[in-house]
Amino acid sequence: MVDAPLLQLRGLEKIWPNGTIALRGVDLTVRAGRVHGLLGANGAGKSTLIKVLAGAIPASGGSVEWRGEPVRWTSPRAARAGGIATIYQHIPLVPTLSVIENMLLEQRGGWRIDRVARERAAAVAHILGDSFDLDAIVGDLPIGTRQMAAIAQGLMSDPALLIMDEPTASLAGGEREQVYRTIRRLAAEGQAVLFVSHFLDEIVALTDEVTVLRDGRAVLDARTADLDEAAIATAIAGRSVTALDRVERRRPTGDALLDVRDLASPGKLAPTSFSVVAGEIVGIAGMLGSGRSELLHAIFGADPAARGTVRLGGEEAGRDPAEAVAAGIALVPEDRAAQGFIPGMTIAENIALPHNGWLVAPARERAAATAAIDDLAIKAPDADALVGELSGGNAQKVVIAKWLTPYTRVLLLDEPTAGIDIGARTDILRLIRRLADEGLAVVLVSSEFEELLAVTDRILVLRDGAIVAEADPATTDEAGLIQLASGTQSRTEIAA
Amino acid sequence: MTRSIDWRRTFGLREAGVYYALLILLVLLAAIAQSRGLPNYLSPQNLGNIVYQASLVGIMGVAMTVMLITGAFDLSVASVAALAAAVLVGLAPSIGFPLAVGAAIVTAIAVGIFNGAIVQFVGINAFIVTLGTLTAVRGLVLVLTDGRSLMVERPDVLQQMLAFESTRVPVFWAALLFAAMLLALAVWKRRPLDALAGIVVAALALLAGRDFTVAAPVVYLALFTLAVWAVLRFTVIGRRIYAVGGNAEAARLSGINVHAYKLGAFVLSSAAAGFAGVLFGCRLGAINPTALQGTELTVIAAAILGGTSLLGGAGSVLKTVIGALLLFTLTNGFNVLDLGASYQGLIEGAVVIAAAAIYTVGGDRRRVRRATVDTAPEAPVVAEAG
Repeated sequence: MVDAPLLQLRGLEKIWPNGTIALRGVDLTVRAGRVHGLLGANGAGKSTLIKVLAGAIPASGGSVEWRGEPVRWTSPRAARAGGIATIYQHIPLVPTLSVIENMLLEQRGGWRIDRVARERAAAVAHILGDSFDLDAIVGDLPIGTRQMAAIAQGLMSDPALLIMDEPTASLAGGEREQVYRTIRRLAAEGQAVLFVSHFLDEIVALTDEVTVLRDGRAVLDARTADLDEAAIATAIAGRSVTALDRVERRRPTGDALLDVRDLASPGKLAPTSFSVVAGEIVGIAGMLGSGRSELLHAIFGADPAARGTVRLGGEEAGRDPAEAVAAGIALVPEDRAAQGFIPGMTIAENIALPHNGWLVAPARERAAATAAIDDLAIKAPDADALVGELSGGNAQKVVIAKWLTPYTRVLLLDEPTAGIDIGARTDILRLIRRLADEGLAVVLVSSEFEELLAVTDRILVLRDGAIVAEADPATTDEAGLIQLASGTQSRTEIAA
Repeated sequence: MTRSIDWRRTFGLREAGVYYALLILLVLLAAIAQSRGLPNYLSPQNLGNIVYQASLVGIMGVAMTVMLITGAFDLSVASVAALAAAVLVGLAPSIGFPLAVGAAIVTAIAVGIFNGAIVQFVGINAFIVTLGTLTAVRGLVLVLTDGRSLMVERPDVLQQMLAFESTRVPVFWAALLFAAMLLALAVWKRRPLDALAGIVVAALALLAGRDFTVAAPVVYLALFTLAVWAVLRFTVIGRRIYAVGGNAEAARLSGINVHAYKLGAFVLSSAAAGFAGVLFGCRLGAINPTALQGTELTVIAAAILGGTSLLGGAGSVLKTVIGALLLFTLTNGFNVLDLGASYQGLIEGAVVIAAAAIYTVGGDRRRVRRATVDTAPEAPVVAEAG
């Protein structure tokens, strides 16, 4: 199928008013009926490119040809009218409206919802596998379903090109599968999909062509069939990335440092018991909504409704975060920006947050922050940089650095690598291993089962708020873990 | 380790605009006074007078700033101040002045705890809760005063009250001492900005002369501002106040007792309002039920002029006091120079909006500049962490 390109970019440039060059001449060709993967490390220019295509920002140079005609969109509405729908990573739906009203946000005319529009919305929902109720309020939906609703909104204008920015970043296995099936179906119907992702496996499995951006340039543009994950990773990083190999560690033994007994929270977590010894990394595998974050929050005392006991070295830890921190438990939460750091504070101030005492000691804090910047390879001008202005991976390192005090004995990590480029991801996983080697007890929650298999000593599988299995990462593979975590019900769903 | 100072930022409009505005206004008013042949506008007496007039709003504004930093809001301060004044004036003749002051402040704190508990534990927005207490507490004042003006008629008590409020305090040596402390701190910690502040204080003291006195409320304002400033600047409590406003959830998950800090801000705000009410009651020895009505908006305007964000996480008490001075200089200038009182509200409102615009636009510029620094070294992926 070699037909004329649907979208053709030639030498696209974007220079911000302050002189930062985001795009240095990108060529990109997208054909109808194809899934085109777009990859790149954080800051490589992916978001900028998407925004230019979506009409949200103007390009500074180069040309965009759409269906053979040069175009210059001046507003997102113009791009959508032209046939390009963009689904952003941070789902811009109105949480207080229902799914159908969100889907119809763009429509003009008098009535809020008329019969024709409803039929049309129902048809789109059907394409997506009827995975949501049209009249459900978006704010009440789990995040995976919200993502489906966002895709539905994009499909309402019947676009020729659908741009998806990391649509699977916040989704668990089963939900991802649903997004993949949708994308394949759209491509089969002749629509083009520009698919942005950090996940190499899904790029390889899903796309027909791949473009890799680095430093504002397209450094790789090829058919996916001719590539493998290693080649793509090398192009992204600009150097050879060692795959995340499992390093056999001496399995730590000894008395339990963290001992969780009958910890339960109504509606979220069934009575759960497990223990972790010093130096051990215990993985928690589970699909979205399986109670992974809830478990960590309950251990940390951040869930007021939780009941049960959490002991640290035999002593009971308190039932609120302040007491948990005093006892030596640290939590790196799932949502960095909303729960992890204070954007308006500097690196030094963020790192010093858990410290008690009366007076602040700026010199000592700056020294500690500077040490952390060196130690964790945080890319920042200096300790006075605001954390809100760092990239995801570097902000995450600051959140982890916050807890690297002599008092911390147990580290709870909730999706520490979500939305982080591959280089920083490897850094963070290595750091986790190192911290365990230094004697911390680590509990690691991750949607990346590959990560769990690579770094943990054993894996607890969580389903519907209860631990249903324990897996040995040395003898389990990703597929086996997915099966354990998604259970029979989800498997039949995928088969269907 | 000395921290380099970004001079352009420190003296830019965003950071120092409120100081410039006050200076420009003073110079402008002085020039008008000069041209009309009026007495020197910048005389120590007149300047002392402006600070005296701004002192109640300043005291409430300092506490309001802490409140706004934690991300909440308190509309009830003026009503609470009136309630405290009513309690003071009502009780002082029977239980004596010191006890009545205690009762007034305890009453105010009770309202603060009520506000804070409802906001924190029931989860209603602070704007709505304090809008309710604004009305309800004003109603309580009406009930307590029976809708009439209350007056203290015992001369000995009245004497004590006036002494508390109107005593003139010589500040020459205290100001010089404070300036010397700032200079010492500047040399010790190598902070040129503290030296600048010290020089300004010393210069003002020397210009005002050795016999210069101020009314007691000015001293209360200075001490309160200094105390709150020091807590915010030097203590862990201070940083946690900023953290709670900057991102409450991140603060909570860092082991900070967010409830305590937010409740504490309500208590501080109401206590400060109670103290301002006490001063107000002492000033007149009387209270009428509509006293201080609408002052809460002046208090909030002062904090906004000082650059405090309504979104929480940022703010400076010192600049709030300057903001209050700016507002009262406007008022004072219109009165002293007889510039037509009808224009006063119009100009005050325009000043507040202009200030907010400068802060918003200035804030954006800075963000863009910082982003450039951060994205530049982003391209290569860092190898080996350890």
